[in-house]
Amino acid sequence: MIKHILTLIWNKKKKNFLLLLEIFFAFLILFGVFTFVVENMRNYNTPLGFDTENVWLVYTEIPGDADSTEIAEMKLLLRQELIALPEVESISYSNNITPFSGSAWQTGNDRNDFEFNTRIMQHDEYYEETGGLNLVEGRWFSPDDALSKYDPVVISKQFRDQCWKGKPVIDSLFILDDEGEVSDFVKIIGVVDHFKYMGEFTSEYNVTFIYEPPTSKELNTIYIRVKDNPSPNLEETINNRIASISKRNDFVIGTLESRRVRNSRKTWMPITILLGIGGFLIINVALGLFGVLWYNINKRRPEIGLRRTMGATKSDISKQFIGEILMVTIFGILISSFFTLQFPLMKLFDIENINYYYAMLISAGIILLLVLICAFYPSRQAALINPAIALHED
Amino acid sequence: MIKLKNISKIYKTKTVETLALNSVSINIEEGEFLSIMGPSGCGKSTLLNIMGLIDEPSNGDLSIGGYSIDDYNGKSIAKFRNEHLGFIFQSFHLINDLSVVDNVELPLLYRKVSSKVRRQMAEEALVKVGLKNRMKHFPSQLSGGQKQRVAIARAIVGKPNIILADEPTGNLDSVMGNEIMDILLGLNEEEKTTIVMVTHDEQMAKKTNRLIRLFDGSQVV
Repeated sequence: MIKHILTLIWNKKKKNFLLLLEIFFAFLILFGVFTFVVENMRNYNTPLGFDTENVWLVYTEIPGDADSTEIAEMKLLLRQELIALPEVESISYSNNITPFSGSAWQTGNDRNDFEFNTRIMQHDEYYEETGGLNLVEGRWFSPDDALSKYDPVVISKQFRDQCWKGKPVIDSLFILDDEGEVSDFVKIIGVVDHFKYMGEFTSEYNVTFIYEPPTSKELNTIYIRVKDNPSPNLEETINNRIASISKRNDFVIGTLESRRVRNSRKTWMPITILLGIGGFLIINVALGLFGVLWYNINKRRPEIGLRRTMGATKSDISKQFIGEILMVTIFGILISSFFTLQFPLMKLFDIENINYYYAMLISAGIILLLVLICAFYPSRQAALINPAIALHED
Repeated sequence: MIKLKNISKIYKTKTVETLALNSVSINIEEGEFLSIMGPSGCGKSTLLNIMGLIDEPSNGDLSIGGYSIDDYNGKSIAKFRNEHLGFIFQSFHLINDLSVVDNVELPLLYRKVSSKVRRQMAEEALVKVGLKNRMKHFPSQLSGGQKQRVAIARAIVGKPNIILADEPTGNLDSVMGNEIMDILLGLNEEEKTTIVMVTHDEQMAKKTNRLIRLFDGSQVV
């Protein structure tokens, strides 16, 4: 029967061409939509690697010419005063590259046995607790690290897997800085599992944390981890303490969670719009398919009558019509797949190949399911045609 | 072979009831060539459809080969039609999108027969009707007589015991009509195939073993 259906389709290639074209373009468009959606949703499903709930950020402006000793004393006092608040769980300092800010510090070189690229984060010893990091190997920074021979670094698991796969990584030395000499070796002391500070929808990238003591004037952002359901006046209290200690008012307090939500909205919007366009397209394709099938069946009533007379059962008739439309659909998908396969093969965009393959599978699945649904009712109606009547309609 | 006893057929709509066949009883013997004649609308095709199990009588009993049709359900009726009955129509009913040989293979698609055997059987049937050289042609490339010969090949490809022909020469000129009639007579004589033919042509009917006339749904002779 398959051979018979293939023969019929081939002999009716001109009639099937438009349907094939419709499937071809529907697949291409769905592939585009789902590549974007799959890429983003797979990224979304990998953990951020740090907490956003109950973490507040305070941006302070420390002038470059400020006295280091004064700044250090002020920061220590600030830390003592803030940690003394009963609703504050922990405090840490970082530079101004913070989650969801859009800022990035990046370096890379090929001066080791491998080539790499990494984002750099600068934190003190308290960030593990404040940020809620999850270390899979080694340890986070400690105050003693300021005295170590090699600058200590904590790297992300992706960086480890990319450059030290299968090798022990703790206490390994490598040259981090592009301009570094032999003395610029850094030592890996720990590995965190994830750290997607650019946003929930971004893919994983290599991250290297470098250490700065909390008193350093490089670190001008304060992370404050507060207890669940903080009182409404906590922000005012924190604001007043910072203002009185730093003698400044040019700082901003915000929550990391609100920044996460704002950042994510930028991706949710296009996902929703694209899925809406995809849905509209699917409805149009469904209506088209339904119409074509209905028309075909009405035009082929005498043929249906003939087949029934020759011994076809009702289910043979249904299977034939579903089989024909499925074959045309599969051809359309195969031709389309030839083009879509070029995306992963030629690495046209910076998207993981697996996302293209998922998008192809989802698009093919949706189109096949749609065709089956649209073919089901007309094919059943075809099976119910009375051969005695249909044979006299020629 | 085919026994019809008091067969009636009534077509009902919401407002009208039409009596197409009125208590027709016919006994057709194995190997017989029977023709049915009558004016248009007298119920000839309805009778043939009932014999071909593509329409059901409203009343009466029908048995073919000793089996009552009441013993069959939808699937087994389809199987019976496929294995025991061959159909020839006035308007040929060839599928224009299939080649001659693919058209002839059609009844074998609904049997468990490999494509190789199918092709072999179709070629043999086309040899019998003298169209082996037209196998790859499409119906649109054939004359009316050739189309009907393809239809005959399709009817005999499954080696049925009974052929039901509904005005097989109705759309053909007398020369082609005679050619088709000769093929049917040959099948009846050489293969001992039982043939029931509906016709308007007295000359063709005279060539058959027996003639039955219908008028207003009733058997006249």
